[in-house]
Amino acid sequence: MSGMLDSGTRLTADSGLGVEVFDLLGAGGQGEVYRVRTGSGDQALKWYYPACATPEQEDIVRQLVDRGFDDDRFLWPRDFVADGRGGFGYLMDIRPDRFKGLPLLFRRKLRTTIRALLTACLYTVEAYQALHSRGIAYRDISWGNLLFDPVTGEVLVCDNDNAVVEGDSTGISGTMAFMAPELVRGEPGVSPGTQSDLHSLSVLLFMLLMNHHPLMGRRELDIHCFDEAAERRLYGKDPLFLFDPQDRSNAPDPVEHATVLATWAVAPASLRDLFTRNFTRGLHDPAARVRESQWRDALRAVLDAVVDCAHCGKQNMTEPRAATAGTCWSCGNALVLPPRLVLTTPPPRTEHHILLHRSSRVQAHHLAPEPARHDYGDGTLVAELTEHPQRPGKFGLANRSGAAWTGTRADGSTQEIAPGQTVPLRSGLELDFGGARAVVRAR
Amino acid sequence: MRTHGPLPLWDTLHGSVQGVNKTRNQDHYDVEGLGSAGQPLIMAVADGHGSAVHARSHLGSRFAVDLFVQQARQFAALAEPRGELRPPSLAWLMNYAQYTLPRQLVSAWQEKALGHWARTSSHEEPALSPPDKLVLYGSTLVGAVLTPRVFAAWQLGDGELTVVTDDGQVTVPLAPDEADLGDETESLCSPQAWLRVRTHWAPVTTPARAPRLVSLTTDGLSKSFASDSGFRQFMAGLDDRLSAEGAECVRAVLPEWLAKASQHSGDDTTLVAAWHTATAPAGPAAPAGPAAPAGPAGAAAPAEPAGPPEPAARTPEPADISDMTDPYRSE
Repeated sequence: MSGMLDSGTRLTADSGLGVEVFDLLGAGGQGEVYRVRTGSGDQALKWYYPACATPEQEDIVRQLVDRGFDDDRFLWPRDFVADGRGGFGYLMDIRPDRFKGLPLLFRRKLRTTIRALLTACLYTVEAYQALHSRGIAYRDISWGNLLFDPVTGEVLVCDNDNAVVEGDSTGISGTMAFMAPELVRGEPGVSPGTQSDLHSLSVLLFMLLMNHHPLMGRRELDIHCFDEAAERRLYGKDPLFLFDPQDRSNAPDPVEHATVLATWAVAPASLRDLFTRNFTRGLHDPAARVRESQWRDALRAVLDAVVDCAHCGKQNMTEPRAATAGTCWSCGNALVLPPRLVLTTPPPRTEHHILLHRSSRVQAHHLAPEPARHDYGDGTLVAELTEHPQRPGKFGLANRSGAAWTGTRADGSTQEIAPGQTVPLRSGLELDFGGARAVVRAR
Repeated sequence: MRTHGPLPLWDTLHGSVQGVNKTRNQDHYDVEGLGSAGQPLIMAVADGHGSAVHARSHLGSRFAVDLFVQQARQFAALAEPRGELRPPSLAWLMNYAQYTLPRQLVSAWQEKALGHWARTSSHEEPALSPPDKLVLYGSTLVGAVLTPRVFAAWQLGDGELTVVTDDGQVTVPLAPDEADLGDETESLCSPQAWLRVRTHWAPVTTPARAPRLVSLTTDGLSKSFASDSGFRQFMAGLDDRLSAEGAECVRAVLPEWLAKASQHSGDDTTLVAAWHTATAPAGPAAPAGPAAPAGPAGAAAPAEPAGPPEPAARTPEPADISDMTDPYRSE
């Protein structure tokens, strides 16, 4: 089937930019996306189905374009385009190929790592936090509109055209599986907002890490017609967490839900506790939901506590600050906790425990007491673990920042570590990063 | 071509031939409806894997088709509710098509296969785990639903969904990504098979933009061509021939085409197709005329033979279930 717009169709954006339709990229729930040629290079054009091209949707898109949200984590509507006959859409950037959707992850078609997945979770939390801090509710968080880079964990939020200013109750939408129960139930006076986004965000994080929906356990298997009424029961009227400690009637089926049983078993207690709180008390009391800052702190800590198995090399999540690490999910051998860098930020003091594996890095956000955004890219690298070129097995911490550090050994002697220099790792070594301080501990 | 009553929205063709040297046809298919709200067009083909490992796959393919038709009726009823009921949003329907229907279909198929095993296996047979039992019934599936509002299709494993667009382009929208090629055959008996279902989603925004031809085939047909382009030429020829001569003429020669294809592929060969008659001549078959193309017979006939017939049995290795239960296996 061809799309709504023919190849070669010429349109003009509100900004005056000329647009020529080139190719249909895909069809979604509200419209189609085309590759278009413009004077500013190729862009993507979302074009609404006639049934979705309502005046309310037009208002939302125009507001979003006017808002001009310039953030590389979002494929934000950049320019409004109409055909003068009731059809309209908007221009956005084209999605780079490196970003992939969650279905590929669930089908085990992506090469990724636990660190990349945790990073994607952390970036996702911060992306929605950035939106909420500007007073915008996304309202349609689901696995369909989050893309991530399986190598770096960077995220890209697409389909932002249902986001509205907090408090605006225009056209409630959303995917029921991700909607807060009170919205699914259609309770009077309840409209989508930041509080309901927090539920959707937790569902999304659960799916990223556990590869399953948190409310789809045994009860799902009893449903033979998964119509709207069944969805309302499962997600709204009678939602029950798979791992509800008080009620096991929706527990995972050992055969049908083997994946989530396996992924839940290897998640650290700090994350499991947050999920449990969110999907037990938080299902019924929006105020009990896990806030973005809580997710951020927990995910960051777990990310710093990932251990590489000495036997098979697989990455394992461990409980931050725990004295033992359990066994490897892949080969079953006991995990060995490596030395750690205990880093204390300037006031208000925050302590980070970074387990030192072969490629450990200290990023700028580790040094800031309240970082606005976490970034694990090379641009914010402060220090990284390096192996001695002539003495394999001996590691040091290389200064990748632009400023010198001061190192104090266990015997009290000091050393300046200039940018580019490496200080050998020894238990008790203290480092002053110019505000933040760190100490190397064997355990 | 039907000559009584209102002109149907879609006319259909279907046929299936058993592969040479095979003891039974392990393909199964079904087609029903006209593409209206009350009578949605539903088509499905399934290909049981064959070989001793999949000894009951002829039943597995039948279960697959029968259960898909049930699920498709449910989907169509949701898309086109009767009476005063408000239809759900396209976004909801898309979510249903992409996630809910595959989940329900795979669960129902597994339940059916395990139930059949329980009823028909004797105590003397070796004890098998549920995944091992499912392997006996392994089958692929390609299915499609067309209503006035939506066109949606699903595929698990090999086979082809071919769509000829309103402007005559031949597309195979559910062809696997390059990254997926070379994998073991995906199957209803694979662990968590619903995650492997590929979905085609195309709301019908304007009736004139609906596809001209939708065809579902098992791989016995595509394997009879030396290349993908040969298969596409066949489909373009089928579309041309339907336009020029009407469905009745094509129906008459379809068994012969399928038999020829089956000789080349060595496999069971099944085709189900729906042709959008709204753009077709309303009367009896249009005269072929001198410009009428040779049609797919020429293409299926061994214009591009795929070499000597191969035995049809495939041995898809069902993925080790432990692979799917190992978290982050893809790491």
